[in-house]
Amino acid sequence: MPGKTKVMKKPVRTLADQSYLLEVVKGLGTTLKHFFQGTGQMVSGNVPDAVKYPLAEGIATISYPEEKRPYAERWRGVHRLTHRDDGSPRCVACLCCSTACPAQCIYIKPGEYPEGDKRRGYERYPVEFVIDELRCIFCGFCVEACPCDAIRMDTGTHMTAFDEKSAFIYDKDKLMSIVSQHGTQKSENPRHEPGEATHPGIDRLRGGH
Amino acid sequence: MPTFKLDDIEIPFEKGETIIQAAYRQGIEIPHYCWHPGLSIAANCRMCLVEIEPGPGQRAMMLDVLKWDAAKNDYVVDRKPKLQPACQQMAAEGMVVRSENSHFVRDARAHVQEFLLLNHPVDCPICDQAGECKLQDYYMTEQRTPKRMLDEPVHKPKGVVFGDTIVYDAERCIACTRCIRVCDELVGDHMLDLRERGNKNEIVTAPGRKLEGDYTLMTEHVCPVGALTSSHFRFKARVWTLTQVPSICPGCATGCNMFVDVDPREQRAYRNRPRDNEAVNKYWMCDDGMMTYLREHEHRVLTASVRRDGTREETTVEAALERAAAGLKGVQKGWLAVLLSAQASTEDNFVMVEFARQLGAPLYLSAKGPWRGDEILRNVDQNPNRAGAVAVANNAKVGSLKDLLHAVSAGQVQAVVGLGTDIDADAESLAVLSRVSEVVLIAAHDGPLASRASVLLPAASSFEATGSFMNVKGIAQEFRKALNPKGDAVPAWDLVARLGRAMELDLKYRKFKEVRAALAVLTPAANPERAPVVDPQTPQITPPATPTTPSTETNP
Repeated sequence: MPGKTKVMKKPVRTLADQSYLLEVVKGLGTTLKHFFQGTGQMVSGNVPDAVKYPLAEGIATISYPEEKRPYAERWRGVHRLTHRDDGSPRCVACLCCSTACPAQCIYIKPGEYPEGDKRRGYERYPVEFVIDELRCIFCGFCVEACPCDAIRMDTGTHMTAFDEKSAFIYDKDKLMSIVSQHGTQKSENPRHEPGEATHPGIDRLRGGH
Repeated sequence: MPTFKLDDIEIPFEKGETIIQAAYRQGIEIPHYCWHPGLSIAANCRMCLVEIEPGPGQRAMMLDVLKWDAAKNDYVVDRKPKLQPACQQMAAEGMVVRSENSHFVRDARAHVQEFLLLNHPVDCPICDQAGECKLQDYYMTEQRTPKRMLDEPVHKPKGVVFGDTIVYDAERCIACTRCIRVCDELVGDHMLDLRERGNKNEIVTAPGRKLEGDYTLMTEHVCPVGALTSSHFRFKARVWTLTQVPSICPGCATGCNMFVDVDPREQRAYRNRPRDNEAVNKYWMCDDGMMTYLREHEHRVLTASVRRDGTREETTVEAALERAAAGLKGVQKGWLAVLLSAQASTEDNFVMVEFARQLGAPLYLSAKGPWRGDEILRNVDQNPNRAGAVAVANNAKVGSLKDLLHAVSAGQVQAVVGLGTDIDADAESLAVLSRVSEVVLIAAHDGPLASRASVLLPAASSFEATGSFMNVKGIAQEFRKALNPKGDAVPAWDLVARLGRAMELDLKYRKFKEVRAALAVLTPAANPERAPVVDPQTPQITPPATPTTPSTETNP
């Protein structure tokens, strides 16, 4: 294949290079420069945020786990169950998430609201909601499947290592106690409760028939 | 047989049949809600409209309609043929019917579908019918357009309790009146009715009544949408996680054909549903039959146990079989009685009869006592296989449990080997069994007899093994294994064969098909695999293709 041939010039080695001594001192100088720069930053308390400015001069590491890198907004962390305004779970126990789950790690026992509850007949609720976080593969299908925005993985935390298996089985209370990375237990998507003024529409009593 | 043409397919029909009925028999489903093969014609859902070509020399009846013209951005006058409901239109020789081939029909279906969904809450995620709902199915096949109505839908009562078994949701209801017709025509009791008109109408119970009786669950079964839900199945499972297995109701001697819906992951039965069989149960089952799936998980014998010094000890099946064989070997010939069971399958009883024949033992039959029968489906005899147990005895005398107790008190019996723990005598009369040195029982369910057993062996129930029942009409019908046997349970025929081999009898059965093959030779009438008996008087309606069921391997 014809083409231009670029002739590389062989680097000239001087006596100084050949002796290695000067080069060793130069190399140590770079190390010492970073050492004094880092020490100076630590003494003055002026360490640049290695996460925000990864290419800044000075210390380029973070002190995990005291410091943590923030995860991306859509990073899939540990699940949480979102709350309604009254603190009950938004979940209506439709079992869509457990159907979608490829690891079969979600168990839900649906129940009916008791007689007299305004949600009776309209909705059901999870009597039990258990996620086996050991089996979970964090694929996020449950979040995609949820029609009520009741399960989210926006917590920004990953699974902690526990020393016993049962600690990985997250029940309803545990899942509802987890907050999002913005500190909220709710979801930004609005929902309307039956009987509320914001709930659209008429019913048989209000409609006059 | 006369024929008519439906979308270029020749459909044979009997005189007096409607278009939809003849097509259904050929496995072609014309979309419908209110029509049900077992109920009268209501023609109120308008989903099954078809176009019928005018006969020779006749003009088609045309209607003036307004049609949207996108180019003019206005409605223009157009004409369309008057469509006919296929469920009500009688088929006639040479009739030409267009269903899928007619764009008028496809339009009509899409619009009917849109109309039915106008006030529907579309709460499929929490609706028990989701996955087997006709509104969902026909939305996908006939409509596939978004809702255009911007107004708020009409809201109606939800979660209305109709009785102990049925909960009603008026918003999901399409007022097809199938449930009303079930009450009227199957039960003959007008417990349900329609209230109000138009988009306000809803199903209500008759004044002062609630939905009660033996066939309430049939109203839920025929409901094509999620309006009527069974309070037993409500919120329990999603239908797409269930597998349907063809089975036979173990509730009574009628032997209704049914599907048992099980969750293969949890190994749990969730519900029964009638399986259409024109010769036996048509399309129906009674409430008690529908609830027999609960028995599967209740009062089960799951481990083998032996009685030592008055106390019951759990042990392995092998140890219990050894103990039973050792106990029975000492019994002199002719002093052993064998108890068949009207609750066990024909195959179990067949191997038991073989066992008895080789030992020269007299046969008796354990059974449950009678229950409330009716003229519709329920037989007074609540044993599903009395006829089968008697048939495999091949003309040998089969005494009742009372006869056995009589023989015991007369001192003619030293040991009893039996299937089942059910009794049709009073429990006090069992006291004479304490005179018998060895009572070996093989049973799936705990019962009054179990307390008298010296060796109790766990058998698979009729949900856990393939087998057959012969119903009161003498029709042998097969049920398939739906669940894995629980605990240490093993099919009863296998336990009997193993017991026989432990007693050095010639019982070679190790596989279910060997039992079935021997049954087919010795008692062909009890073999469910022979050609089914067809009554020429009743039309055989073949239901549309159902999803395939998993193959059922019986042998452990």
